[in-house]
Amino acid sequence: MSTLTSSAPASSANHVPGPSFLRVLNAEAIKTRTLLSTTILLLCAVALMAGFAALQAWGTGEFTRAAATDPEAAAALAQQGGDIALTIPTAAVSFTQLIIGALAVLAMSSEFTTGMARATFSAVPQRLPVLAAKLLLVVVLAFVVTYSGAMLGGLAAQPIVQEYDLALDLASQDVQRSILLNGVYVAAVAAMGLGLGTLLRNSAGAIVTLVAGLFVLPIIFQLIPGEFFEEARKYLPTNAASAMVQWGVDPVAGSQLLEPWQGALILAGYVAALVVGAAASLKARDV
Amino acid sequence: MIQATDLAKVYGEKTAVAGVTFTVEPGRVTGFLGPNGAGKSTTMRMIMGLDAPTRGTVTVNGEPYARHRAPLREIGALLEARAVHPGRSAFQHLHALAATHGIPSSRVGEVIDMTGLGAVARKKVKGFSLGMGQRLGIAAALLGDPQVVVLDEPVNGLDPEGVVWVRNLVTYLASEGRTVFLSSHLMSEMAQTADHLIVIGRGRIIADAPIRDILDGQGRARSRVRTDSPAELIALLAREGVSIAAQEDGHLEVTGLEPREIARAALGAGILVYELTPLQASLEEAYLQLTRDDVEYESHPAQAGGGAAPGVPATAGPATLREVIR
Repeated sequence: MSTLTSSAPASSANHVPGPSFLRVLNAEAIKTRTLLSTTILLLCAVALMAGFAALQAWGTGEFTRAAATDPEAAAALAQQGGDIALTIPTAAVSFTQLIIGALAVLAMSSEFTTGMARATFSAVPQRLPVLAAKLLLVVVLAFVVTYSGAMLGGLAAQPIVQEYDLALDLASQDVQRSILLNGVYVAAVAAMGLGLGTLLRNSAGAIVTLVAGLFVLPIIFQLIPGEFFEEARKYLPTNAASAMVQWGVDPVAGSQLLEPWQGALILAGYVAALVVGAAASLKARDV
Repeated sequence: MIQATDLAKVYGEKTAVAGVTFTVEPGRVTGFLGPNGAGKSTTMRMIMGLDAPTRGTVTVNGEPYARHRAPLREIGALLEARAVHPGRSAFQHLHALAATHGIPSSRVGEVIDMTGLGAVARKKVKGFSLGMGQRLGIAAALLGDPQVVVLDEPVNGLDPEGVVWVRNLVTYLASEGRTVFLSSHLMSEMAQTADHLIVIGRGRIIADAPIRDILDGQGRARSRVRTDSPAELIALLAREGVSIAAQEDGHLEVTGLEPREIARAALGAGILVYELTPLQASLEEAYLQLTRDDVEYESHPAQAGGGAAPGVPATAGPATLREVIR
């Protein structure tokens, strides 16, 4: 028992360090990197993006080759307009956002499902620094994974696009902008996931809600006839994001999307609403 | 020091803690005793700032928990169930908690050695036994070398060696001048460990006294009474603060009245009493006596034949105590 402490316990001395934001961020970073499942999923997301980009390059190449001989394919190609190779590096973004979104949900919901929350929020009773630290971590990770995955994908696609005489210049402004905007979008999904995980505190419920919001709602809105739903569909997160990533690209004829800046604002609105709601709920509810 | 003032927690219709006032003093082990569902854990969660009180306040070393600059240095807690992600190792878990307060890794090693987790510290918590989980919880509580230590059912799931270890640990912590607050639903455990006892039942404090006083049954006189007319005697004696248990073998146990008062009342009503014995309570008895009507999840025995006075439960099944409280 003599190892317990060298001196008598001191009461609330002022020099002892407390949970500052940087310390909480450090603690959350330790938590993130000590979960093997998180590391594996993040690497999977990068690998998935690289692999999908290569597949997309192959498909696009075959499509353009067919367009050279088949007038029907040529018409379809013409209708797409713009630079057809532009979307190759970010071909897997809809899958990446699922992985990253689920991880972001778990970053907070697992605290509650495992009981870890009691330890976490005993150490940081103000609670909000924990949310802020997790938010920063998932947003940065989401962006880095999307960006590096897309760049790797672009590199993997190079020999394939060259085979089909297509051009994909990873250093070009258009390609960089497209990758950056997709990175911002996945980061926004991560923030929404963390918000939902904090609000619902239930992993399955929050992941299902996120998937419903991102993938199911657009389909439902498309199926319901009527002008209202056609118009409202533009304001759903996925559609707003689609508008945002078109920044600097000539719109496709008959596009059903908002202006890119409008899409960015709408997306930011969703993120802000969920994060503010999560903060209020975390502060108010019992752990 | 922990001070609770009119502390209450209400969940919708259910009152978990009904306005309790108590002080946990430094330098001794204070036991927090009560049946399951009595409000022990809820009270402890409110001390740790995890649950917001519906009413009242609770402070740790003079400040509400969340107001402390370095809360883990003030108070460490092991709360019910596990508070660990199963995918991390004990070391990683403690390391992450320590990081929030800039506690060095050397201290993490210290608490791991202290709690005897050295051999499993690098293994995932997923594979831990209940006892190892408890030791990890205690290690986390001691991480910040806090002045106040709160342990919710710390001996749960521990092997006999572990139980002795917890006993020695809390006694040692208190001897160093720390405040130790320890909950349990096992009175035998408290008798061995605690210096002072706070007994809670259905969210109310039933007793708050040195363990000696509770053993002596001070303030709650208890007598064994034998009479030919139990129903009449019960009707005569039953009032606020008096509890009467009709025992299986026909005698009554009267708590809250001096033998002289019982005898006088019986004499006045012409009821024959042929035994009137003052009883000395063991802690176990004292506890049962204190909490019997405060047990929320009581097992109700099947009712035997009639013959009981109005308002008095029928004589119960084998070895069961029934009582009336007015």
